[in-house]
Amino acid sequence: MDEKIPNSNVIETEIPLGTVHPAALEPYRLRLFVEDEIVREAEITIGVNHRGVERIMEGLPVEKANALTEKICGICSNSHIWNSCRTGELGLGIEVPERAQFIRVLMSELERLHSHFLYLAHGCEVLSHETFSMRVFYLRETVMELLSMVGGNRVQYGCSVLGGVRPRCDLDDNRIQRIIEGMDTIEAGLTDFVKRFTADNIIMSRITGIGVLPQKQALKLAVTGPSLRATGVPNDLRTRMSEYEPFDFNIITQPDGDVKSNLIVRALESFEAIKIVRQVIDQLPEGKVVNHDWEMVDTDITDSYIEVPRGTLYHSYAIENGKVRHCIIRTPSMANIGAMQYACIGDQVTDAQLAIVQCDPCFTCTDRAIEIIRR
Amino acid sequence: MGIKSFARKRAIHLMLVYTGGCNGCDIEIVNSVLSPRFDAEQYKVFLTWNPREADVLVVTGPVTALNKKPLEAIYEAIPDPKIVIAAGGCALMGGVYNNIHGDIPSEEIEGPVDKVIPVDAKVPGCAVRPQDVLSGLVSVLPKLLEQD
Repeated sequence: MDEKIPNSNVIETEIPLGTVHPAALEPYRLRLFVEDEIVREAEITIGVNHRGVERIMEGLPVEKANALTEKICGICSNSHIWNSCRTGELGLGIEVPERAQFIRVLMSELERLHSHFLYLAHGCEVLSHETFSMRVFYLRETVMELLSMVGGNRVQYGCSVLGGVRPRCDLDDNRIQRIIEGMDTIEAGLTDFVKRFTADNIIMSRITGIGVLPQKQALKLAVTGPSLRATGVPNDLRTRMSEYEPFDFNIITQPDGDVKSNLIVRALESFEAIKIVRQVIDQLPEGKVVNHDWEMVDTDITDSYIEVPRGTLYHSYAIENGKVRHCIIRTPSMANIGAMQYACIGDQVTDAQLAIVQCDPCFTCTDRAIEIIRR
Repeated sequence: MGIKSFARKRAIHLMLVYTGGCNGCDIEIVNSVLSPRFDAEQYKVFLTWNPREADVLVVTGPVTALNKKPLEAIYEAIPDPKIVIAAGGCALMGGVYNNIHGDIPSEEIEGPVDKVIPVDAKVPGCAVRPQDVLSGLVSVLPKLLEQD
């Protein structure tokens, strides 16, 4: 199979889901065009969650605007504040202390763990295998405890500030000891989960070959993150980020692009995240965590890309009189909506929700004001 | 005690509606009900996604313009007696999205939840802690069980 081509001429029946629907956790509108029970075309409409965070950010002081970006998404909140601060730092030329970079990477990897565990748990729930779902949710609590210990809150941590991280998020011996113990617990639990998950014939027959996204189409749709890696493309922005240079990790890819590949990519990436957290703890340099030695000046439009749990995140703004101007945010789920629409084509209606969940949707991230430029 | 409340005492069904917050409260509430750590099922509270089956409605998020109608429809669909819990800073007062630039109200937001439907209990926090959700839930249960 090279590419799936939607055929909109022969559609018999339409199944509308949403905006609020029992099958979908988040509000969005999904229209499935079916022939017998096979989905021929799918259409996702977003815009229900639009709150206009960029609009609120315009004209706010940079520090406040950075804190506000966290409220874009409750799952990858740390990534947003990190990238927003990174944008400001690139524009203003602020040098970030090495210890602060390490703590940011630590928070980012812990967040990757909690996001991937949420994905695995939610995926198992959509598969209707509640036991696996409960097991992963239980494992996830260990990560949440570590996050709330370092960040001070379970969801919105507010870890990064311009020039480093908050002094509250500094790591002492007690915290390091708890992180080491937590990583051991998580690794043991995850190993156990992956062994049992891949050995389960019922699960494997349910997820193999379902919701296939061909590699060529994934590249055409500009899919990012683990969803792209699950189609066999070894593309990870972390390999090109200066923050990740001291660490040694592998890029996980899977060949097929179906639900099985997606689940396994996330599970194996969690092991890599554990590896990076251990390296952060081993190599943690001494020194201060925040650099106050900088001046607020006007800057041009600066942009910054980082790799977050779901893909590539883009922030861009300019600074004028210490206030944010011309803010643009592009979240990874925005790119993956195309993948969701194409992944469920050719499968049964019952598998459509699974095929959408396999692309790790986050519709609060996604609801940005967009302008489509056709070329 | 009627047979209805006798039966309800053994299985209270909770429905979560999500009206455009940041997903944080949403996950914490699903987590608090579903996850084995903060197991709400030990208080005989179960999660459902069907409004006709539900007794308790938990609302998160500042009701965005497109979410107002679905929320009202869901509230109507729940049979009496019903309890509404607003959870999280956005549901209580609109949160950070309520105003743009000081006190200019944002046109995307239809205000806090109690402007749209009556609210019985309010759980603060950004994001709400699972413990707070559980205590809020347990505090409204008498109100539900003592009717009829």
